[in-house]
Amino acid sequence: MAEKFDNLEEHLEKFVENIRQLGIIVSDFQPSSQTGLNQKLFSLSWNFMITGLQDIEKCRQQLHDINVPLEVFEYIDQGRNPQLYTKECLERALAKNEQVKGKIDTLTKFKSLLISELGKVFPEEMAKYKAIHGDDPPS
Amino acid sequence: MTEIFSLYGQPDSQGPAGPSALGFGSGKPQAPQNMGPMCFQHQMVDEGGPIRKPAAMNEPFYLLRELPMENELTGHTNLITHYNLEHAYNKFCGKKVKEKLSNFLPELPGMIDSPGIQDNSSLRSLIEKPPVCNNSFSPLTGAMLTGFRLHTGPLPEQYRLMHIQPPKKKNKHKHKHHRPQDPLPPETPSDSDHKKKKKKKDDDPDRKKKKKDKKKKKNRHSPDHPGMTGAQPSSSSLR
Repeated sequence: MAEKFDNLEEHLEKFVENIRQLGIIVSDFQPSSQTGLNQKLFSLSWNFMITGLQDIEKCRQQLHDINVPLEVFEYIDQGRNPQLYTKECLERALAKNEQVKGKIDTLTKFKSLLISELGKVFPEEMAKYKAIHGDDPPS
Repeated sequence: MTEIFSLYGQPDSQGPAGPSALGFGSGKPQAPQNMGPMCFQHQMVDEGGPIRKPAAMNEPFYLLRELPMENELTGHTNLITHYNLEHAYNKFCGKKVKEKLSNFLPELPGMIDSPGIQDNSSLRSLIEKPPVCNNSFSPLTGAMLTGFRLHTGPLPEQYRLMHIQPPKKKNKHKHKHHRPQDPLPPETPSDSDHKKKKKKKDDDPDRKKKKKDKKKKKNRHSPDHPGMTGAQPSSSSLR
């Protein structure tokens, strides 16, 4: 699974590097003896850009089953590290996990307390209830 | 709640039911006769729950239901250890994750920390309004490339900022491939202060030793010795 990501990452890095070099050529073009060379580099870069796009599109088939949550895009659009989204997801999951565990523990204690108190008030009925549902497992 | 609705809101009920029929006020409740099967049919249509037999439900206790199926995985278990995410948790929550996008993508050129809405380069706009294009990429011919002739001289000012990179931090590990030098932006006041602060810290190794000694003294005198850090999942609370 990591290989297909590495493949895509490699193609993207090459593409970005090519665009960057194109930008450098275009930013300050000077007439000199190397004009022909720059023109050649420029045209080569353009075609390399198109082949780069073709290579990136080929990677798409390997990654058709990958789903990215939309909230990550909001982090990227704000210029924030997307790993913060993962961090916040884990923290929220842990907090919710602890909350639910607390509820389960409280309700389990309440159940055992209720059964013991009902057993004092309605001993016969509670004996029938335990016969149907069995004894409660220790909490 | 479905039981209460079925007892209160039956269109075929025979007259208003007294409080005794509903089980309030006088001891043991009377089992409803005509309303019984209908109200239990209501209860059987549960939200995704299994259909239960009406006959067994009235004996020996009124409204006694079967206990729900127990799930192996509940909130009682530590889901992070269950799904083997401890390493991921320590990686993201144990260490400090840097805020900026450029820390995640250090080799990406350009000013990527600025919001995408400012220069209309947001991913959201790309998803909401995808650009209309052909299905395939075809290479440019020589005639097409003549349309991209370069004119001499620098770019107009409005386009100059696109290739400027933020100042790179010095890394300990040297990169194998070296890029051609990019024009660097002028130092901002915040960057120069940051560098001055860094220099002060580097020039005073004695300060670090003194701080460490102070911390050790504090730890000796404090009643609670710090053990596990607060960022780690508390295994005792979730077991």
